[in-house]
Amino acid sequence: MLAALALFMAAGPQARSADLPSLWAARVKCVVAVEYTVETESERRSMFDYGTVVDSNGTIILPSGSVEANLPPEQLKDFKIYLPGEPAVWHGTYLGQDAFTGWHFIRAEEKLRPRLVPVTAFAARGAAPVPAIGEEVWGIGLRTKEEDFLPYLLKSELALIQSLPERTGTALQEVSGPGLPVFNRDGVLVGLALESGSQQFVEYTQMNRGGETVLLVDVEESSLFELADEALPNLGRIPASISGRPLAWLGADGLEPMDRDVANFLNLSGQSGAVVSEVLGDSPAEKAGMKGHDIIIAIDGRPLPRFRPDRVVADYIEKEIRRRRPGDLMKLTVLRGPDRIQLSAQLKDAPKLVREARREYFDGLGFTAREFVYGDAIARRLKPGGRPGVVVHFVKPNSPAAIAGLQPDDWIREIDGAPVATFAAAVEKLRAIGADPLRTECVLLVSHGGDTAVLRLKLR
Amino acid sequence: MKPAILNLFRSRSILALAILLPATARKADAAVSRGLNQLFDSVVCIDVREVNYEEGSRRFEASIGSGVVLSEDGLILTNAHVASPKAVEINVTLANLEHVGAKLVGWDHWTDLALLRLDMDDVRRRGLKFSHAEFGDSSKLYTGETVFAVGTPYGLKRTVTRGIISNTSRYFEDDRGVDGYETGAFNTWLQTDAAINPGNSGGPLVTEDGRVVGITSRAYLGANNLGFAIPANVARQMVSGLVRDGSITRSYIGIVPSPLQDLEKFYSLALDTGMLIASVDPGSPAARAGLQGGDILLAVNHRAVDARFPEQIPAIQNFIASQPVGSAVTLTVKDGLATRDLSVVTERLESSVGEDCVLDAWGLSVRKVSRAYARENELADDSGVLVIGVRPGYPADVAGLQSGDIITRINRQPLGTLDVIKGIHAAYSSKPNPILVEAQRDRRVALYIIKP
Repeated sequence: MLAALALFMAAGPQARSADLPSLWAARVKCVVAVEYTVETESERRSMFDYGTVVDSNGTIILPSGSVEANLPPEQLKDFKIYLPGEPAVWHGTYLGQDAFTGWHFIRAEEKLRPRLVPVTAFAARGAAPVPAIGEEVWGIGLRTKEEDFLPYLLKSELALIQSLPERTGTALQEVSGPGLPVFNRDGVLVGLALESGSQQFVEYTQMNRGGETVLLVDVEESSLFELADEALPNLGRIPASISGRPLAWLGADGLEPMDRDVANFLNLSGQSGAVVSEVLGDSPAEKAGMKGHDIIIAIDGRPLPRFRPDRVVADYIEKEIRRRRPGDLMKLTVLRGPDRIQLSAQLKDAPKLVREARREYFDGLGFTAREFVYGDAIARRLKPGGRPGVVVHFVKPNSPAAIAGLQPDDWIREIDGAPVATFAAAVEKLRAIGADPLRTECVLLVSHGGDTAVLRLKLR
Repeated sequence: MKPAILNLFRSRSILALAILLPATARKADAAVSRGLNQLFDSVVCIDVREVNYEEGSRRFEASIGSGVVLSEDGLILTNAHVASPKAVEINVTLANLEHVGAKLVGWDHWTDLALLRLDMDDVRRRGLKFSHAEFGDSSKLYTGETVFAVGTPYGLKRTVTRGIISNTSRYFEDDRGVDGYETGAFNTWLQTDAAINPGNSGGPLVTEDGRVVGITSRAYLGANNLGFAIPANVARQMVSGLVRDGSITRSYIGIVPSPLQDLEKFYSLALDTGMLIASVDPGSPAARAGLQGGDILLAVNHRAVDARFPEQIPAIQNFIASQPVGSAVTLTVKDGLATRDLSVVTERLESSVGEDCVLDAWGLSVRKVSRAYARENELADDSGVLVIGVRPGYPADVAGLQSGDIITRINRQPLGTLDVIKGIHAAYSSKPNPILVEAQRDRRVALYIIKP
């Protein structure tokens, strides 16, 4: 009893300022719930996420995994914003995903903005405090839509800080809703809870090479948070366009970490390295002279730091690339056999992504075709550039395409015996087939994996 | 799509499942022919012990099959999945129940046939007697004809079952059908309803006069009497090749065929013309000549081909395979509306399964990456070895290697042959120093350290 009292006294000045109910009332204004619709060819799904307000213009960030990767932005619709505990629906606009942080940005409608408080209002002036192990941290959870996203208190103590490669705090138990802020006892911002950060943690600690990822935690709450000093400088990274471009790209694929034994064998003790599995065609890495099986050991002359676990080094290199801009020079030191080689790569804007590929749904046939992009050539081990054809993106169940055996990711080489020259030509042809009432069949030559198959779509 | 699971019939454990029947004497319905009686004396039981490297260590496995003696000098025909080059000990039980040793003469997994030779010195020394069988003409068989399957199912000596020919040309190709090796691409099979059980494998399927018309090799497990045999006319040809060379040499061009049924109109072809090329192995002679999936093969060396139905494919494959290795073959190909002749120089056909070995000190079983394996898996080249097993807790396992990894370099040295890795392993065994291993899984390259 005495000891506890003594401690309390020692923490006196802070304790006085820590009036949790009033801190709570102010800080709950910087969080919102977000609902949006994913509209695909066959269905509409409602998705829910939590967002943190980052400025006075009504800008809200959602964590990186909150939107399925590879979804084209035009399939994301009807962004709605809810204030904690209120049933009223407000509207939002999707601004895109930031390449570096992975955050998705949305902007609240004007009328809502006066009611929002940016999280920066609770940030420390100067350097953000880094909580100590054992220090109390708290955050905000939000209930479901059915319960008007009622806010509730989550509180815990810091257990561990790691670099993954972001500086990441692990609390003893769930400390905030994924994507929502974490505060210290004084109500000062100390981090942003990671969504699927909890999954990330499990992934890093439980996944062996090639092993399965196990999800052991409640995704509605998170016990992991990115430290504020690392997150705060990025809050202003509002994407210039909905596509999230420019995306700096090196083209060194399949970065594999090395364990301590390998590093020591290669005289890399105290640092780390990553094997480049493949150098992609026409990429900055290829132009710089990088070869498959090279081992990256330093960026801009700085040896790669050692991470625990080792595999974080791959994410570290990815981040180093994404923090740069197309046109920037990136100096890389690689180990090739016994030699250390200095390379200088000029980063480029990444080639068109699958989510940016043009696509069109053919209702009568029952499938969506999309443009053949760079990644499709890589996946099929083809030289990039000049590859005609279209790729099947979606097949409607029980449609003529599905019955004929067409599958997503099939590469359509020929339509009715004629080679597919361009996406536009394929679309024109497929549209004409779908619109022709006298048509009884359509024959597609497709490649799936290494095999080629002739599929007959029975129409009508 | 592969056909449903086909189970190879070699019994690994003998089930003593005897049902007692009342032993009342009965007169035979019909006399057994002299030929059939003589045939019975040529059917043998084959016990094989073979070595297996798959778990990162050396293991021995025992199995039982059947066989038929073909000649006075002790040649025995059986299945490739009964006796393979991995056999370390082969023991034959003659029809008179005497045991005698045998050695493998030759092996061909594509037709699932193997040829053994009895230890004739021992046979002569002990004055052992056996009969030998004669081949019949399997092309003369008709559906519904009575046949007998003779063999030693579950090790039960001289078991005869009777049935009919259910189908004379059954097609199935299996990439892993004979202990992981490819089979069935170059021949069709006889189908019979004579009861075939594990251990019947390698035994003869005979007509009423006792002539061998097929070699029993497989059946659907759990089905009622759906058994399959290699036709005698295929077997006869293989026997002469195996006696001469110990193996069968075939040509390869790298096309994957497919039937044309229902597609003739689309390709503007007359019925019963051509074969669809479903895909072309990357880097193969056909690929280098510019053939592509979706092309139609009209003729080989100006001989028209017709694969409207799947059953017709093996004969075409066999015709290509029987061309001399390294010879130029003219393929007439229809690609869109144009028809052109292409010249393709054949290569020697290889299995995708390379040679195995075990590296005991590392607890690592590896298999040479064959050219065929490298093409199937789109590897840059065929250097390297495939990990087929790791022994738990041994250095390879501790390092993180797993089955399916392809080791491309050790201590920065490329692995052209199995001897390279065996040499490094031998050096390690006498003086263990850490070894740097570069391995590839899917398309990812990673480094590992094997250390004591």
